[in-house]
Amino acid sequence: MLDKKSVQAIILQALSNINDERGADEQIQICLDMRLFGTDAVLDSLSLVSVIVDVEAAISDVSGRDISLTDDRAMSQAVSPFAGVSTLTDYILLLLSEAA
Amino acid sequence: MTSFQVLEGEFVNLRPLQVADAELTYKWRRADRAKFLNQGAASVELQAKWIASRPSVEHNFVIELKTSRPVGMLSLIRVDMANRNGEPARFLIGDEDAAKGIPVAVEAMKLLYELAFDQLGLVRVCGIVAVNNKLMVKWQKYMGMKEEGRLRNHLCQDGEFHDAILLGLLVNEYRKTTLPRMNILIAVGRGKI
Repeated sequence: MLDKKSVQAIILQALSNINDERGADEQIQICLDMRLFGTDAVLDSLSLVSVIVDVEAAISDVSGRDISLTDDRAMSQAVSPFAGVSTLTDYILLLLSEAA
Repeated sequence: MTSFQVLEGEFVNLRPLQVADAELTYKWRRADRAKFLNQGAASVELQAKWIASRPSVEHNFVIELKTSRPVGMLSLIRVDMANRNGEPARFLIGDEDAAKGIPVAVEAMKLLYELAFDQLGLVRVCGIVAVNNKLMVKWQKYMGMKEEGRLRNHLCQDGEFHDAILLGLLVNEYRKTTLPRMNILIAVGRGKI
């Protein structure tokens, strides 16, 4: 079972993958309290999709379970899973805690 | 030059590209962010001539925020009404800072697909993406495009040849997969999820 630190590491790696595709003067400052999407956020929707794809793939590889970060379930959350690294981490842990 | 109505969304509009956009779009096309697009015009004057010469089988747009601030460009080209297909192309967010946190790219593409599938009645859109344009490949596949082929050494970038991936999307795939995902990403931007 993935723990909080492992999930955070997956998200941070997905963000790092974006920086690999960017020029030196376009690097995103990656940190645990960064906002991902929405007001004062650092990602555009192209980069957000990249994070979603990479995180879903990594979670599947490590846990053996497929999760979907952008289905109707996400719409029912009180706080957007994509507001920041911490909210996304919590949402992923919630999904993983449920029976497959 | 093609003309079409303004396509209005919640966060962005697609406004027909005009000759007056030559300087701005020339600047965007010269930036590093445009490295995966075909080489553009060599001057503002040539960009203006290029815009003025667009054929009727193309629909070229500037992506504007609702404040009318231009932030990017997007086109539907090679529209073939006999075979009912077309090609999304020239997709570039030129003003990245203005697009942060707003579903600009998603909604712009949604508006283009609405034009393609709902207004023009196309059954298919397709296009090529450089294999090393990883963000765009991920984006397109996530949005439902299927890889249909690989064109070897099809694109030359900075003197190096790269494969191009041929991606296609059928109208039923658009309705089943693409549109729901786009709507959720737009809802994310709305702050409701």
